[in-house]
This record gives sequence, C-alpha cells and structure tokens, in this order.
Amino acid sequence: MNTVIEVAGLSKRFGGFTAIDDVSIAIEENSITGLLGRNGAGKTTMMQLLTGQEFRSSGSIRVFGEDPVENSGVLARTCFVKESQKYPDDYKPVHVFRSAPWFFPNWDAGFAERLVADFRLPLTRRIKKLSRGQLSAIGVIVGLASRAPLTFFDEPYLGLDAVARQTFYDRLLEDYAEHPRTVVLSTHLIDEVSDLLEHVVVIDEGRIVIDGSAEELRDSASTVAGARTAVDAFVAGRRVLHREELGGLASVTVGRLDAADRKAASAAGLELAGVSLQQLVIRTTTTDTSEGRRSA
Amino acid sequence: MTTIALSRSASRTPSSNRVLATFRLHFVNYETVVVLPWLIMAFIFFVNWMIWWMITRSLTSATDLADAREGFGWSGAMFFIFVYMMVVAVQAVNLTFPLAQGYGVTRRDFYLGTSLAFVMLAVAFSLVLTVLAFVEEATDGWGVGGSMFTLNYFGGDVWYERLWMFLVVFLFFFFIGAATAAIYVRWHTKGMYAFFAVLGLLVIGSAAVATLTRSWPAVGDWFVATGVEGLVLWSLVPTAASAVFGWLILRRATPRE
Repeated sequence: MNTVIEVAGLSKRFGGFTAIDDVSIAIEENSITGLLGRNGAGKTTMMQLLTGQEFRSSGSIRVFGEDPVENSGVLARTCFVKESQKYPDDYKPVHVFRSAPWFFPNWDAGFAERLVADFRLPLTRRIKKLSRGQLSAIGVIVGLASRAPLTFFDEPYLGLDAVARQTFYDRLLEDYAEHPRTVVLSTHLIDEVSDLLEHVVVIDEGRIVIDGSAEELRDSASTVAGARTAVDAFVAGRRVLHREELGGLASVTVGRLDAADRKAASAAGLELAGVSLQQLVIRTTTTDTSEGRRSA
Repeated sequence: MTTIALSRSASRTPSSNRVLATFRLHFVNYETVVVLPWLIMAFIFFVNWMIWWMITRSLTSATDLADAREGFGWSGAMFFIFVYMMVVAVQAVNLTFPLAQGYGVTRRDFYLGTSLAFVMLAVAFSLVLTVLAFVEEATDGWGVGGSMFTLNYFGGDVWYERLWMFLVVFLFFFFIGAATAAIYVRWHTKGMYAFFAVLGLLVIGSAAVATLTRSWPAVGDWFVATGVEGLVLWSLVPTAASAVFGWLILRRATPRE
C-alpha cells in the first residue's frame, strides 16, 4: 500500500492553546478517510496543516513524500475547499467554475456541469447572495470535478438538504470508483457517511482518539445489556466506554469482544448489540478520562 | 509501505503555470477590474465635459476664458482610478488569496502572479491615460478647452514622461494596498490597529522633529524643489518597500474567516 499522508509527532499551538497535540497518522492512497470529531476538535486545523495553509509548531508532515508547505508540486495535486471558504465579493459561481480548471489539471467540465444541475446551483447569482447550502454546493462541486489526487472536504455539506447530501454521497462513490483518489472528509453527520468510509480518524481536543479501518471499528465495541448484577459481573476488568442504568437493568458499552466473550455473555443471559460509528465517536469523545483518550 | 514519489508529476506541473493561472484568476471577473472603472471614468468625463461646455459657453471675455481654462487644469477628476486600483489590490490579497490557497497555490506563486497582474494593469491603464492625454491636447481639450488627463501637477510633454508618471502612481497604489491587506490577512484587526497606530506615530513624530528643529521652512523648500515629478519618483521608495514587506508578511500568513 502506498502512503499519501504521513504525519509524525505533529503539534500546532496558537499562543497557549494547543490545537493539534502530538498527532501521528498515515493515510493510504486511494482510500476515503473520515476525519471525525466535535466542533473545535482540530479537524480544520489538521486539514490546513496538511495543505500547507497552516504552519506546524513541531513534528513532521509528508504529503506525497514531501513537506507540503509552499510546495507547488504537492499542492498542485491537492484540492481543499473549506466549509468557510471565502470568495471575492463580486464573484458568481460561474467565475469559480471558469477559474478552477486553470489550477486542477484533471478538471472535468462535463462532470461539473452535471453537478451544477444536480445541486440546482444558480450560476450567475452573486456568491454573497447564495444560501448556505448553495455556498456549500460550490465547494462540493469543485472538490469532485477537480479530481485532485488528494481531495479534502471540510464539512462539505453544511446547509445542504437531505437530497443534496445523498447526491453528494452518490456522486462521490461513483466518481471514486471510476477515478480512484485519496479523499479525506470531515463531518459531523457520522451515521450518514459511515458506509462511505474505509478509514476513520477521530480527533478530540487535538489528539487522535481513534485511528483504524472502518471495518475494524464496527466490531471494536459492543453494548452488553441485561440485569445489572449480570452485566457488572461480565464487564468487571474490562474497559467501560459508557454506562446506562435503569432500575435493575444496565447497558454498558465495552471494547472488542471475542467469540469466547460472546458465548459467555449469552450464557449469562445478556444481550449483545453492535455500536454504530456515531455512538462510538460519542462514547470516545465525551469521556474525559485518560483511559478514554488512549482508546484506539 | 512505500511512499509515492512526486518527482515525475512535480516536473509535469511547474509552478510557472500556477503563477500564470493566478494572474488569470485576477481577471476571471474582468468586469470589476477593467470594465467598471472605465465606465465610471466615462461617466465622470461626460459630466466634466458638460461643465466645461457650460462654463465656456457662458464666458464672453477672452481673459475670463483663459482663467477658466487654467482652472480646468487643476482637476482631480481621474484620480479615483488610482484609489479604485488600491481597492482592487486590497481585495486581491484579502479575498482572492484565500481562494488561491483553496486551489492549492503556494504563497510564492500567488504573490508573483498577483504582482504580475498589478504591473500589467498599471502598464495598460497608464497607456490608455497617456493616449487620452494626447487626444485631449490634439482636440484642444475635447473642443471646449477642458482637461482631465493633461494635468498641471503631472506636467511632461513627452509621451514617455506622461506614461512614466501614471505608471509610478499606479504601482504605488497597487503595492500599498496589497501590503496593507497582507497585514490584515496575517494579523487581522489587531494588525490593522497596530499598523495605523505606528503610521500615526511616525507622522506626528516627524512633525514634532520638524517643529523642534525649526526645519519646517526647509521641509517646504524641499517639496518645492522636488516638485511633483520628483515626488512621484520618490514614491518608488515606499512602493518598493511595500512590495518587499507585502511578500515577507504574506509568506507566513494563513487565511482565516
């Protein structure tokens, strides 16, 4: 497997605030990675560091094997249209789609046109006067039609309605199948994208709390439910991610269970259920214990 | 695991392409940069021409007419275009820069492409103004003795002198605008406060020094001796300084909302 992004011991401090704290990750070529986390967790800063927009405080970043900062060769192969992307005051969407091909050698104008129709984006209205969703659509279209070997989507669909979001997922998957590339997607709508993702990185307060393949993560945690005494006996000595109690019943989320564990649980009359990616992220980013931090 | 080698593709997309792409980016909406300022210029010209026409029509004595024509020469009607271009420069750095960053342009390529756009605009607009100045002379002030492009302050009868004056003034406004915007992009509102505070202190400090050393007459003499042409030439110092500092500031700047 080829590595497109390699980050080691990366930190970014703004004055006394540490936005990115000793992060090490690797992202492989031609994969879709979800960069998940709460507001202010460091997702945008991370993407800005990877595209040379921010300057790191310490650590190393390798994108296509090189430092991305002021590196024309690297940046010419990346596309990063932020959720908060600013456009010149007098711009209409048409100006964006006219100029974007000058910067992205793989730009597909026909694909861009189809996407404009899909999202019903008015091309000749001033960007300033567009709705939040229409503004997001511009970024989504540039991100898709640019076909950059490394594409970042930062909260790409803020304000997009459910139909438009589904269109985005569908077009992304279709185009990705035909033109494989490396996609990094940050989002809050974890359940919606969980089927899309091959790799998941969860960041919280600037630290990586989960980094693994989506498949691995799906069975990395389970919820054990049943009589409280039986649940307590079962989870004793295990890492507890979350606990809910109601009367004599308890429902506890624990880490990975092997076949023997599952057998033991059913023997004890306990119910086992999988934990969705969204639940997993919530469990791992709300606990403030150092144990929660280390889980990965 | 292996890491993808970049060299092959890097050589395929040399950054000179991205300098030129950035240059073009400033003209993608050419209405704002080129069409609108000259439409405004045409409108101002029309209004001025009407005024010149009305004044010359109402004056009968030759001496009054000569006085009026002398007065027309002190017009500032076309100065707006310099300020307009400063605003173009501010927007280029404040708003086009973040977009270029999203397009994966390095700061270096952006600054080169943007400077190229400024120089091109300055040259093209100076040429147009120079041509208009000669037309103005050839038509005896558009038939009514008016003057908008041949001004008393600028002087110069030779075409390249006129071109040079316009060019230097354009460059001054472009690069002052770009450097000021770069301060904002890098340090935001705090940077603006600090910049204008320092600027204010420098001005008031210079005035204080001139007062204490009783050198105001010498200052006045210098301005008289230097003349407009000399002052325009001296403006190249802040222009060059802005171009250099603009780059030094922008090369470590990160666009934020």
